[in-house]
Amino acid sequence: MSDGGSETAAPLPPRPAGRARVRVTAPHTGGPAAQPAGRGARPGTSDVQGVYVRSLIRSQLRLALVVAAGFVIATGLFVVAIALVPDLDRTFVVGVPVSWLLLGFGLYPLVITVGVLYVRAAARNEARYRALAEDDS
Amino acid sequence: MNPAIGYVSIAAVALVSALIGFYGLRVSRTTSDFYVASRTVRPWWNASAIGGEYLSAASFLGIAGLILLTGASALWFPIGYTAGYLMLLLFVAAPLRRSGAYTIPDFTEARLESRWARRVTSLLVIVVGWFYIVPQLQGAALTVRITTGLPAWAGSVAVAVIVAVVVAAGGMRAITFVQAFQFWLKLTALALPVVVLLLAVGGGTAAAPALDAALAPAVAFPTAAGPADLDVYRTVSLMVALLFGTLGLPHVLVRFYTNPDGVAARRTTVIVLVLLSVFYLFPTAFGLLGRVFAPDLAAPGSADALILLLPDRLVPGPLGDLLTALVIAGAFGAFLSTSSGLVVSLAGVISQDLLGGRVRGFRIAAIVSTAVPLAVALVTESTGLAGSVGLVFAFTASTLCPMLILGIWWRGLTARGAIAGMLTGAVLSAAAILAGAPLGAAVPALRPFLEQPAAWTVPLAVVVTVFVSRADRRGIPRGVDGYLTRLHVPERR
Repeated sequence: MSDGGSETAAPLPPRPAGRARVRVTAPHTGGPAAQPAGRGARPGTSDVQGVYVRSLIRSQLRLALVVAAGFVIATGLFVVAIALVPDLDRTFVVGVPVSWLLLGFGLYPLVITVGVLYVRAAARNEARYRALAEDDS
Repeated sequence: MNPAIGYVSIAAVALVSALIGFYGLRVSRTTSDFYVASRTVRPWWNASAIGGEYLSAASFLGIAGLILLTGASALWFPIGYTAGYLMLLLFVAAPLRRSGAYTIPDFTEARLESRWARRVTSLLVIVVGWFYIVPQLQGAALTVRITTGLPAWAGSVAVAVIVAVVVAAGGMRAITFVQAFQFWLKLTALALPVVVLLLAVGGGTAAAPALDAALAPAVAFPTAAGPADLDVYRTVSLMVALLFGTLGLPHVLVRFYTNPDGVAARRTTVIVLVLLSVFYLFPTAFGLLGRVFAPDLAAPGSADALILLLPDRLVPGPLGDLLTALVIAGAFGAFLSTSSGLVVSLAGVISQDLLGGRVRGFRIAAIVSTAVPLAVALVTESTGLAGSVGLVFAFTASTLCPMLILGIWWRGLTARGAIAGMLTGAVLSAAAILAGAPLGAAVPALRPFLEQPAAWTVPLAVVVTVFVSRADRRGIPRGVDGYLTRLHVPERR
């Protein structure tokens, strides 16, 4: 868990200059450009490493699907709740019905919260992978 | 309205954008500087630049106009535009950064090992980009016509020329600075007027004729146009288009290559979510104000001008002039930034595929990428900025999005499957969009399905992609395991 906890909050310090610049050139053939290679990207990757990578991909996909489904369900429930309470249309705050205010402004905190939770969890998955892969090599 | 205000603020924004662009020129020297700003852009800069590029005419003028025109159903547009970045964060941000590719076609070719898949992707990227630039130029035409009294085409031509010159001269490094500046300009240009107008209305100091003409709350916000009166199919379909269209937009994706690594790409995306959430408070507030104080503008041609006209109505005099100048500047910033972002990514694709990837080719491609949408914008007329941008999202969601998501997460995707799926999505959604008006008039029952096609075209494109890939098991690229490893394994630290 070298960096796992720090990438969640919105205001972040600029990253250290040391590893930022990567020299790349435009690919003529369209092949992948040079990049800081992942550990397993080299040819001759062992089978065990392959298992770790596949499990990392599976856990990241599962995480993304769960988070996306959670967001969609929460949004759906929010809207159904607004629709089911007709009084919200008749209650006015600063001259605007509460139902309009809720739909217009209420979902953004949810989007941000879900995003922050996802980034944390995704970093945890990567830290777990790194611990396994490093132990093994 | 005093035309001088229009001239001054449009000229000022154009000048500042060009100056920042040429400042950037001095630091962009190599080919890689041109394409991806050497990948040294910091997350906050990058996030501001993404926001600056993403918030287009549809966001700046279109949302408030649509809230005025149709009511609470328009509130779904900003929600979808923001949540689209959530989907981008979940499914593509980090892997795409790690792919090491410059453009979507680069990614397609590297992942699928197929020149044909690359060609189809390039073609789609160019189509998406061109049709996304068109509403920006139409927004410029509207703004210039309303604020200066000049003929509408002058606005489209001015934006096209500035964008072509800045992009061809400076490349993307320059554009990153310009875009970041544009985000804060656009935010200020909406936030300040909203605050002043709310204070004026709340304190009763607004212009008496405007206050007298204001609608009663129950009339301005009828239940029939409220959130509870939801057209379920249209809303769901719109959300599918916006949520999944965002992650296929060419100018959005190219920004992620400028992050130093995958973790920074995620971090940048979360900052983008925050910036967008803050930004969209203001067009929404403008739209709500418009329903009360400017119901006469609620017609398809004029609603998009709400943000430009409202400040002067509510606080006439010098303060109103100042606010008007500010919103005009912000609107022009929106047209310039989104168009130049699109032109950068289109020029990258065109120059690499057709012109050999040199800086000179990039410059020629930048001019071509601006000229074609300009021609389209000059011969067509806008019926609503938010709506036409929504259709571009539907097309993107049906074509590039299934290929990207399956390419990143599913080992079994093959070049044939991807091509079949992209063509299916392209043909179906383009047919629905083009045939929507005539066919919908003949068969009213089909109208919602043609006007909001994403809910059926996206799933069909995915199904075709998966089935053709399954039938083509021998077509699975040899290097797929290595490439997926590269996409998902965290960078060496």
